[in-house]
Amino acid sequence: MTVTEPEAAYPAETAAPAEISQLRRTKGGVRGFIRRSPLSAFWGCIAAAILVMAVAAPVLAPYEPLKSDFRAMSKPPNERHYFGTDQIGRDVLSRVIYGSRASLTIAMGAVLFGTTLGALWGLASGYFGGRFDILSQRVIEFLQSFPDLILAMAIAMALGAGFGTVIVAIAITRIPFGGRVIRAVVLSLKELSYVEAARGLGASHLRIMARHILPQCVAPYLILATTHLGVAIIIEAALGFLGVGIPPPTPTWGNMLADSLNAGLIPPWWLVLFPGLAITITVLAFNLLGDGIRDMLDPRLRRAV
Amino acid sequence: MYSYIIRRLAFGALTVIGVSIIVFIVLRILPGDPLVAIFGPEGFTKLSEAERAGYMADLGLSDPLAVQYLRWVADIARGNFGRSFFRAESVGEMILRRGPLTAEIALLSVILSWLVGIPVAIVSALRPNSLGDNVSRFLSILFLAVPGFWLGMLIVLAALFMFGYRAPLTGPSLLKDPWANLQVVIGPAVVLGLGQAAYIARMARSSLLEVIREDYVRTARAKGLSRRPVITLHALPNALLPVITLSGILLGFVLAGSIPVERAFGTPGLGYAMFTAVSERDVFVMQNLVFLYAVVFVLLNILVDLTIAWLDPRIRYR
Repeated sequence: MTVTEPEAAYPAETAAPAEISQLRRTKGGVRGFIRRSPLSAFWGCIAAAILVMAVAAPVLAPYEPLKSDFRAMSKPPNERHYFGTDQIGRDVLSRVIYGSRASLTIAMGAVLFGTTLGALWGLASGYFGGRFDILSQRVIEFLQSFPDLILAMAIAMALGAGFGTVIVAIAITRIPFGGRVIRAVVLSLKELSYVEAARGLGASHLRIMARHILPQCVAPYLILATTHLGVAIIIEAALGFLGVGIPPPTPTWGNMLADSLNAGLIPPWWLVLFPGLAITITVLAFNLLGDGIRDMLDPRLRRAV
Repeated sequence: MYSYIIRRLAFGALTVIGVSIIVFIVLRILPGDPLVAIFGPEGFTKLSEAERAGYMADLGLSDPLAVQYLRWVADIARGNFGRSFFRAESVGEMILRRGPLTAEIALLSVILSWLVGIPVAIVSALRPNSLGDNVSRFLSILFLAVPGFWLGMLIVLAALFMFGYRAPLTGPSLLKDPWANLQVVIGPAVVLGLGQAAYIARMARSSLLEVIREDYVRTARAKGLSRRPVITLHALPNALLPVITLSGILLGFVLAGSIPVERAFGTPGLGYAMFTAVSERDVFVMQNLVFLYAVVFVLLNILVDLTIAWLDPRIRYR
């Protein structure tokens, strides 16, 4: 214990050489990533497997997700239906596999749309500053005054159920985060001398933003996007659970959990356990992958995001 | 301090105005025709032109949007939260009846999250990278990924199968029947509390590790104080400041999280009312409840900011 104590007391001094070696090893690409954080690499593989599962759902699923088998209704897991069947005889395993499609499409759509829009907005507002920045900051603050899920619920309900509307609803809750983080990065970047040099050479605002500032924002954006994937998946599931997600009969994990409550007074355990496990594993995979990417690209962001 | 309070309150008032505009845009303008929302697309086509105009005028929906907005704000300022389209009870009465239960859940869950999160963080920060640290870090990462409502459903099922127990379905008040009240409240509070504890433990751990590095902590150790009083009396109070801020943000997470969690437990709180409003597509109730939640969230954040300013003079004088 006495040996580890000084290390615990002064991680700052031990951190400096570690950071340098991290930067060097980043060049090792995927192999370096695996060597540096095997745990994140493992969970990255799981995330990739879930992606494959979503794409190859028709091949992998043993049954049609929407087809009822009235001879096998509300059956517990058995050798024909590994995850059992629901109250109208649909195979739960197939529905969980197909559910990954809805979850991932919506989460990725929401992040691509929301986090990106927020990031670009943050880039512009940080770069131009002034009145535009003050106004943007206020709007972002108003949007952040709503808990995520409540804003997403209200928008999804107002626009009516459907794939596109759920993506928009979740995307809007992601905008403020992208805006805040990227704006902070841009604020510190735009004072640097190389940006000033570009300005001195007569580069246009658009060119400076696109050529000199945007590339520096890629790392924080990637970190933000992977973290938001997990959040978006949970919000999507909650929307489905509350009945404002994708309308049934499309299998989504949230819908399946909501359905299980309609299966009678006591929901059968297999209808509850498996969709929830799917959500947990997927979110865990993307969160840990995000942690790994963050540690690799920018250890300083450890607390910022 | 007073100028800080006044500045913060003015900002808060501005935020509430902005929030009300967003709520109005989202729930009054986005849905398109409110009659479609009320009657459903099928019911809407069955209404005659005159009926539609009649309903619109009755509900005050044919006035210009600005007039509608001001009337809504004036109603709320007078404490009139309107009436559901589907049930007899006014929204104001419903909030008074169901609100306390959700408030209890939120408060209890925050207390639980501190009781679990802080000790875990201290153990973690005292021996970084030890077995205990790794286990608690893995658990907190796990709990960030577990959806609260699913955990709730599992708890309800487990209680039923193992003990044949089901929490009462009506929500008695704390004063009349504290025992029944506790049974209703404890499940959602535990689920939401664990979710928050994961964030709290992570934040408190990294914050403690940072504070432990500071000169004054080393001085305290150098003058011969043992580890425990240095951590609990010197380091912890400073390390807790960012945790308090985080706890305020997490309260928003609890307010929102309680909606699906109350549905999972069947708790008769405000979150369940929100679920009912959503599934009935009751835009008027939704509009007022969403606004109420947002205002509560803004007020809580102001409260947290003032607490931090009171605890930390550096912020007051900035």
